[in-house]
Amino acid sequence: MNPALDSGLWPWVVLICFGFLPSEFWRLISVFLARGLDEHSPWLIWIRAVATALLAGVVAKLLLSPNGALAVLPLWARVGPLALGMAAFFVFRRSVFAAILVGQAAIISAGYWVAG
Amino acid sequence: MSESAVASHVEDLGGKSRSQWFWAGAWSAMRGPMLVVAISLIGVGGLARDAGFSIDIAIASTILIWAGPAQVLFFGAVAAKASWAVIALSISISSVRFVPMVVSLLPMLRTRRTKLITLLFAAHFIAVTVWAEGMRRLPGIARDGRLPYFFGFSFICILGTSLSTALGYVLVGELPMAWAAGLLFMSPIYFIATLVRNARQPLDRYALALGLVLAPFTEAFAPKGLDLVVLGLVGGTGAWVIARSVHGRAQ
Repeated sequence: MNPALDSGLWPWVVLICFGFLPSEFWRLISVFLARGLDEHSPWLIWIRAVATALLAGVVAKLLLSPNGALAVLPLWARVGPLALGMAAFFVFRRSVFAAILVGQAAIISAGYWVAG
Repeated sequence: MSESAVASHVEDLGGKSRSQWFWAGAWSAMRGPMLVVAISLIGVGGLARDAGFSIDIAIASTILIWAGPAQVLFFGAVAAKASWAVIALSISISSVRFVPMVVSLLPMLRTRRTKLITLLFAAHFIAVTVWAEGMRRLPGIARDGRLPYFFGFSFICILGTSLSTALGYVLVGELPMAWAAGLLFMSPIYFIATLVRNARQPLDRYALALGLVLAPFTEAFAPKGLDLVVLGLVGGTGAWVIARSVHGRAQ
C-alpha cells in the first residue's frame, strides 16, 4: 500500500528515489563518457545521428500512439496539421514560429471539427 | 585548430563579460524556446494532481527530473499504482536517450579549465529543447561564453516550465478538448521544425527521415520501453552508413 502522497516527507522520497535518480543517472554517466571526446571527434558525428533519429522517433510516437486529447483525434487530424505546419516552415523561410502557428491553428480547428 | 592551441591560455569571451553571455542566453530562451517547452509541459501539472501529489511535488518534478516523458511516466505510473521498482526502471529506460544528447553537447560547452562539478551540473539541464537549441547556437558563440550562455538559457527554460507546471496543476480539466489537443501537439511540431532547421548536413536529414519512418516498426518489434533507444541506434547508424557511402568519408 502506498502511504499518503499529498503530505509529509514520503512524496519527496518517492520523487527523488523513483523519479529523479533513475533519470539523472544517465546524464551523470554521460559526463564521463564525453570526457575523452573532443568537439570534432568522428564518434560525435555518429552520436549526433543517433540522437537525431531518436528525437524524430519521439515525434512519430507522439503522433502515432498519442495520449489524452490527441488520442481523440483520428490519424489524419494529427498528421495533417504536422504537414501543414512544415509547409508553413518552408514557405516562411525555415521559420519554426510559422510552423507552430499554422500547425496549432490546424490542430485546434481539427479538434473542433471532430468534436462537432 | 592551431589557432586555438595558441590561444588556449587566453580567455575567449568574444568581447562580452560572463554575465553578459548569461543574460544573452536567458534572453534568447525568452524569445521563444522557453514558451514552447513551458507550454508543451503544462499537462504534467495535471497528471501530478491526478496522481494525488501536492503542487510543490509537481513543480519539483520539473526542476529535478526535467524530462517531459519521464515525468509523464512517473505520474502516470503512480496513478496506476505500479510498483516502485517498475516505476524506477521504466523512467531509467526512458532517460537512456539523454546519453547521445549529453555526449554530443558537452564537448561544445567545456573548456580545459571547466571543473567536473560544473559539467555534472550542466548535464542536468540537457533535455530535448536545450540540446536542439544548444547544438544550433553554441558553435557561433565564443568558447568561454558558451557555459554562461547555456546556463542563462537553461535557467530560463526550467523557470518558465516550473510556472507552467503549476499552471497546469491548477487548470487541469478546465480546457476544451481542441485546446488540450493543441497543448499536446506543441512538442511534436516544435521538435520536428527544430530538427529540420538544425539538419544542415545530409547525415542529419537521413537520420531524421529514418527516425520517422522506422518508428512504427521499432514500436511494434523492439522490447517494450526500449524501442526509442533501438530506433536511435538503428536509424542513426543507418544514416551514418548511407551518408558515408553516398558522400564519402568527409561526412
